[in-house]
Parts: sequence; C-alpha cells; structure tokens
Amino acid sequence: MFNKILIANRGEIAIRIIRACRELGIKTVAVYSTVDEHAQHVQLADESILLGEAAPRESYLNMDKLIRAALDSKADAIHPGYGFLSENASFAAAVDSAGLTFIGPSADSIRAMGDKAESKILMKQSGVPTVPGFEGLESDGDFKNAAKEIGYPVLVKAAAGGGGKGMRVVNAEGELSEAIESARREALNSFGDERLLIEKYLADAHHIEFQVFGDMHGNLIHLFERECSVQRRHQKIIEETPSPLLTAEIRARMGEAAVAAAKAVNYYNAGTIEFIFDPQTARYYFLEMNTRLQVEHPISELVTGIDLVQWQIRIAAGEKFPFTQSDFHQHGHAIECRVYAEDPSNGFLPSTGILLQFIEPRGPGIRVDSGFKTGSDVTHFYDPLLAKLIVHAETRDVAIQRMQTALREFIVHGVVTNIDFMQAVLKHEDFAQGKVSTRWVEKKLELGEFLQTQQIPAAQSLIAASLADVVFVGAKAQPAVSNETDPFNPWKQTNNYRN
Amino acid sequence: MKTILNSQVVEINPSGENYTVTLDGKTVFVQVIRAEDGHMDLLIDGQRVTAHVSSDMAKRWVTIDGRTIMLTKTSGAKQGVRHDHAGGLIAPMPGQVRSVSVRVGDVVKKGQTLLTMEAMKMEIRIQALKDGRVKSVFVSQGQTVEREQILIEMED
Repeated sequence: MFNKILIANRGEIAIRIIRACRELGIKTVAVYSTVDEHAQHVQLADESILLGEAAPRESYLNMDKLIRAALDSKADAIHPGYGFLSENASFAAAVDSAGLTFIGPSADSIRAMGDKAESKILMKQSGVPTVPGFEGLESDGDFKNAAKEIGYPVLVKAAAGGGGKGMRVVNAEGELSEAIESARREALNSFGDERLLIEKYLADAHHIEFQVFGDMHGNLIHLFERECSVQRRHQKIIEETPSPLLTAEIRARMGEAAVAAAKAVNYYNAGTIEFIFDPQTARYYFLEMNTRLQVEHPISELVTGIDLVQWQIRIAAGEKFPFTQSDFHQHGHAIECRVYAEDPSNGFLPSTGILLQFIEPRGPGIRVDSGFKTGSDVTHFYDPLLAKLIVHAETRDVAIQRMQTALREFIVHGVVTNIDFMQAVLKHEDFAQGKVSTRWVEKKLELGEFLQTQQIPAAQSLIAASLADVVFVGAKAQPAVSNETDPFNPWKQTNNYRN
Repeated sequence: MKTILNSQVVEINPSGENYTVTLDGKTVFVQVIRAEDGHMDLLIDGQRVTAHVSSDMAKRWVTIDGRTIMLTKTSGAKQGVRHDHAGGLIAPMPGQVRSVSVRVGDVVKKGQTLLTMEAMKMEIRIQALKDGRVKSVFVSQGQTVEREQILIEMED
C-alpha cells in the first residue's frame, strides 16, 4: 500500500480523496494555486505545495509542477480526481515514467477512450452502438461538410473533453465557425487540447451512464446506472440511481455492453460508460467513456455500498478486487444535487464572492461533499460547483422528499446559488414521472418556466433583516470580509446604532 | 429605528426585552429567542420563525424556510436612483476578459460579438445590441471585471 498520495486537484473532490486516504492510513499532499492558499483542501491535507498562479495552466494543469511536487514530497502515487489532468494520457504516462503510480487506468486505456475516433471504432467492433458523427476534422470547410452530411442540429465537442466543457450545439451553418472557435478555446483552457469532433445532436434523449470498476488482474464488473438527464449547457445538475426508465432486462443488457466497452480497452480502476438513451425506442448508443472517477460517484456508492475512492487506491496499489458481479445489488434510491454558484435570475451566469454563511444540511440519509466553508472565497477561475448534496432512501419518492427537505436546510449567503431552481425541478411533474430529457431544462426555460420574477420580499424576511441590525450589534453577523466594493458606505455604521 | 430595505420601510422599537415592528401599516410583536452567528430564532406574533441573516455593507442575505433573498438597505433620499447604462454594455457576470474584437471608432452591426468574457471556465459573448459605432472601450484582454462593470460604450 502507498505511504503518501499527492492529490492533483482542488475543492470537494480533493477533500473526498483526502478522507479516503486518511481511512486507509495514507498521508496526503495537497497542491494549490495562489488564490487557493486558504482553501479547505489545503487546510485538511497533511502537507501542501504551492503550484503557481490561479490560471489552471500555471497550476492544476501543469504536469511538470505536479510531478515535481510529488517527487519533492516523496509521495508514491498521484490521484488526479476528475477534470483537470484526470483524463490526460500524457500525464498518466509521465507519472509512470517518474516512478510514481497514477491512480486510475493505464495511459493506453485513457488514450484509446480519450481519442473519440479510436474509441468509436473499438466500440463498433465490440458490438456497442455509437452516435453518427465524424472525428479528426480540422478546417472549417471539413466541419461544414460533415455537419451537412450528419444534418443539423450537430454537436461540436472537445475530443479530450468531458463535463460539457468545450461543447457547443450548432443549429445552423451560420453558427458553426464561431461555435468551433469558442469550443476550441474552452477546450484548450480546460484540457490543454483544442481538437474537436462533430456528431449528430440527439435532442430528446436521456443520458444514462454505467459505472464500471476493475482491477489489474482481469476482474471487471459494473455497478449499475446513473440517470443524469437533468442538465444545463451539457452540465449535469441532478443525478439519480436507479434510473426510472430502465427495466431489469434493459439494465442487464446495458450493463453487459458497458463491461464489453471497458474490456475492449483493457480497463482497470473506476470508469464510466456514458450512453444516450432514447425513451421512445429504448435504444441506447455509446456516447463516450470517462476514464476517471465521476463527479456523481457518490450515488453509486450509496446504492451499492462500496467506497469507490478507497477501492481506486487499493487496486492501484495492486490489490485484487474481491467481488464479482453477483455480489452487487441496488439498494434503495439515491439522488445527487449539484449546488452551483450561479444565478438563475441572471441567465445562470456564475456568481462569485466570499461565503458569508455556508451551512450544510444533516440528517439520516444525507451526505454532503463540499469544498467550502463560511469565509471561503469562490473565485471565477474554477468550476462553479460549491457542494454535492446526496441523499439515500428506500424508494425514489422518499429520496425526492428527503432531497427537498435537505435543500431547504442548505444555507448559502454571499454567492447566488441554484438551490431554488433545483427545488423547482424536483417538484415538477415531469421529474416525478422520470420524463426529463437532456434538453428539458433548456426547453422549459425557453417557454418561460422557472423564470424568477423579481419577488416581493416576504414580511418575515424584511423583519428578520431589520432585526439583525439591532440584535447583532457587536458585529457578530458582520463578516470580517466583504463582497461589497465601497468601504465608505454610510450604512456600514448602522451596526453601532441603537435606539 | 427605521430601516429601508428594497424601498420598504421597517420600523423597529424595543419593548422591554422584545420588539414591536411596523411594516406596511401593520405592527407585529417580535420576541428574539436566540440570536448568534447570523442565526435567529424568532417568535413573530406567536409564530416561530428561524432566519439566517448575513450583512455585507448595504446588502442583507436572508434565508427563511429554505428561501434565500438578497435585500438592499437604502437611505430614503437616494432611493430609486440608478446609474443608467443606456449606451453602455455591461458585464453580465464577474470574470475575466478573454478577447476584445473591436476598437474605438469601429462601426458594428447588431449582434456582432464585441468581446468575450470567461468565468468558471464558461465563456460568454458580449454582442452589440444595435447597429452603431464604438465610442469607448474600457477594458482590455486579461482584465478582471466585476458584474455590471461598463465594458464598452456605443453611439449611434
């Protein structure tokens, strides 16, 4: 087993990994950029190393600095988390060459699945259906011809991508070249790789993915599905398992296809096979494989009872995975809500600032994976994910109610969040009936649903806010920090006012 | 003590250990059961209310029953005065300027992309709202901007 692991990531996932290491008796090294000096993941690790400036290329995407940090701190292994360098085959190879262990699949598996062209050919050979499209195009002209052949709408997306970064839906030829340019730039910034591919955009489908897990001794199983169709800008918002759409028979078939897909690239460690699922025909298409731990892994952990991060580490250290497919069953229902720092009343654009209050809900069946605390700074440099709220209950209905209750108790002040928006989705009839496709949110927004009109503040809110000025004299409610720019605002003095 | 929040006047008067609060011509009796660290347990006319309140200069963040609202405390005199951005294009979010594609004097068409911004790895385009000429460009590539900061000024 490893003595020390460097975590090449930040935020909630870095903390999730630190926790698993601690449980296994392994020391941890956090890395950080200048703006993350006081971030929670730095605070919690046994050691920490400054990488550089806030821009990801100077810090969390900088392979040389990360490997040097691992060597300098005498770590045995690097856990990449998700995002950043987690699906970068060159990084996995460089970690190996430096005599360290990359906690994830082999560089060859990452390369095979990361190259969307190669992976599609492989999938077809393995009998897994794929989405029609083209890979390896460069000039605008080639993209134009390809789009014409596939038929609009099309999707251009980062060949090295994931999580919706560097991805654009193009509805007509006029939008194509700008979409390509902007997707390229986003891809370069997110993954350090600007190659794009183009494929048919299947508008009303569901996104259903299968968790796979294998060791380096040839054992590979799946841990069932995750339904991830509640999305905005291709970014998942709410995930659940089991999917309300799958019958036992389709689940078994998709699970077999997922295992076949992973075996085709000699996969080991945690991975996810994403499918596009058409509810009309119950047909599914291989979309891509994420060769890493997934953001939404906790819901699989809750229904199967396995600690995926601990097992990632154990099998990377060479252990045999002791379980077989028949050892796993889905117990109850789990839902994850991603609490983002984004403002639904401002087109879901990012909201940044210092967290004035950050109070996580707790209770039976509630899990919160977060990377922030009251006083943390949410900057514009990184992902808007504040926390993952995950619930587990015996049935889907109870899980939904539990999530609604937990969201009510989640207090975030200082940045605007999507909590109210997620509440609106959870109580929607379409969600209750499992009818939410990947385009559902955008369509509802176009129809003007979920539009928050400037609400008249409730009397209770006004009373509480006014009373706060009186009862919190002595600056107890006044944060030591501020998001407001004017230090001479006369209202700052009202705290000393008493009548 | 009078407080104006989102142009609504709230008047608070101590009454022994408790308070009377007048709002919209209605007076209620409020008992503060517990108040610490921005968390208040209140009895408002006998009804139990738990509120989380954060104060950040003129801003008040309030959460009651899972609903969070941001209120702004104003003085009566300044009420309703807003800076007008008629000819200006403002930043819809905080972030960084990725690229500026126009210069002062450029004639642009409605919908033309004038600059791109990025925050939290998301990119957005700032486009001309109508045909016109670029009067001033206030920002440059790489610059960090606040939400509602003026980026570009246009003229007809």
